[in-house]
Amino acid sequence: MSEPQDRPAAITGIGVVAPNGTSTDTFWKATQEGVSVLDRVTREGCENLPLKVAGEVRAFDPADTIEERFLVQTDRFTHYAMAAADFALADARLGQADTSASPYSIGVVTAAGSGGGEFGQRELQRLWGKGSRFVGPYQSIAWFYAASTGQVSIRRGFKGPCSVVASDEAGGLDALAHAARAVRRGTDAIVAGSTEAPLAPYSMVCQLGYDELSRETDPTRAYRPFTDAACGFVPAEGGAMLVVESAAAARERGVEVRAVIAGHGATFTGASRWDRSREGLAEAIRKALADADCAPEEVDVVFADALGVPAADRAEALALADALGAHAARVPVTAPKTGIGRGYCAAPVLDTAAAVLAMEHGLIPPTPNVFDVCHDLDLVTGRARPAEARTALVLSRGLMGSNSALLLRHGAGK
Amino acid sequence: MPQITVEELATLMKKAAGVTVSPQQLQERPDTGFETLGVDSLGLLGIVGELENAHGTPMPVDAERCKTPQQFLNLVNTTLMAGA
Repeated sequence: MSEPQDRPAAITGIGVVAPNGTSTDTFWKATQEGVSVLDRVTREGCENLPLKVAGEVRAFDPADTIEERFLVQTDRFTHYAMAAADFALADARLGQADTSASPYSIGVVTAAGSGGGEFGQRELQRLWGKGSRFVGPYQSIAWFYAASTGQVSIRRGFKGPCSVVASDEAGGLDALAHAARAVRRGTDAIVAGSTEAPLAPYSMVCQLGYDELSRETDPTRAYRPFTDAACGFVPAEGGAMLVVESAAAARERGVEVRAVIAGHGATFTGASRWDRSREGLAEAIRKALADADCAPEEVDVVFADALGVPAADRAEALALADALGAHAARVPVTAPKTGIGRGYCAAPVLDTAAAVLAMEHGLIPPTPNVFDVCHDLDLVTGRARPAEARTALVLSRGLMGSNSALLLRHGAGK
Repeated sequence: MPQITVEELATLMKKAAGVTVSPQQLQERPDTGFETLGVDSLGLLGIVGELENAHGTPMPVDAERCKTPQQFLNLVNTTLMAGA
């Protein structure tokens, strides 16, 4: 981010639809209590696949918040996005009347890894089962990984800069950084984030080729990064949308600046080359720190990528040591995603939401299901740790080789 | 060939486009545009597809370009009459 810092990009609203909570309050309560909701996959058609444990969103009925005409033309991942966007906008006190007065001043940025697999599967089954005349026209837009940006902007009438970031799992952080850049260039607000719905038969079969996927059948043992028992990651669905807004615009509206997106760095080191991700992630962290003019010692908490693959965990611990020096062994590190799973692009956005909430509450949430850490990290386990955190570093890596780091600073209030 | 009624159209608007509108509404205000009712171009295309599958006959190419339920019913029913 080389734009001038005179228009800081603030986070003013958080909307969450996660396996452990379908509101920001319930998400935070479960996250800070270290509740694990990883469980056996129950989604229809997935029972006999060799992937047994996932983080499902169970307490969510899209019809509660989304109009039927938007539901029929969208996949589950877009249902989550529309709902989370609504929650975030309400949280930021940006109502329909505020945004329709100046529709060009607000846009949407999302990232998505897999798109609308469930919707696509249904229509493809009609194609091969009954014939092409039975495929609904909304198949043309619903499967597409850009669908959520499009539908959120259409539904809310936003006409400002809209985009979709396709950069692997780390794209969740890159989308937030992209939103911050748009704000720095003059847009008042961007609704940004990611939601995913990879827990449907077709989508799950697509994931079975990943060596990094956990095949463990016991939910308490399936996702335990940074331990000797690490055996891969557990996938999840859901996600979060945030309102990224010009701090000046927020102040003008009398709305609290909850955090500032202060720095971002992104690199690429190749698919599943986890040893190389050490260098890539360290460089992303250095870029984010430089971007924010932040010394390593200022980082108060790290939300780790925590893939749960031994080589990847080692690379992440070493990347932190490379980029933060001696501070890497002292700074509290956490990975609340071990309690809900990794929602691909949505995972680091949920981590960003948790980081903002952690700074607000002065409480670093724990890493569920993880006990004996085998790396030189101060991983927060067991229960939440009180800490006056003012600067948070969120890390993400994708299975295809993207590495990203986002630096957040606690908001200065109003 | 049976005619397409406001009842059938209302059912299809719900099924293919997620728009709830009563047959009475369609009867009383047939000139209210599809766009106003919340049916976009892909939604109308879906309705046309459902009708073709249900009746086993192609609909006129202009059916998906109709702006109002009145226009749509007139065109489709005229075509069905001619085919019968």
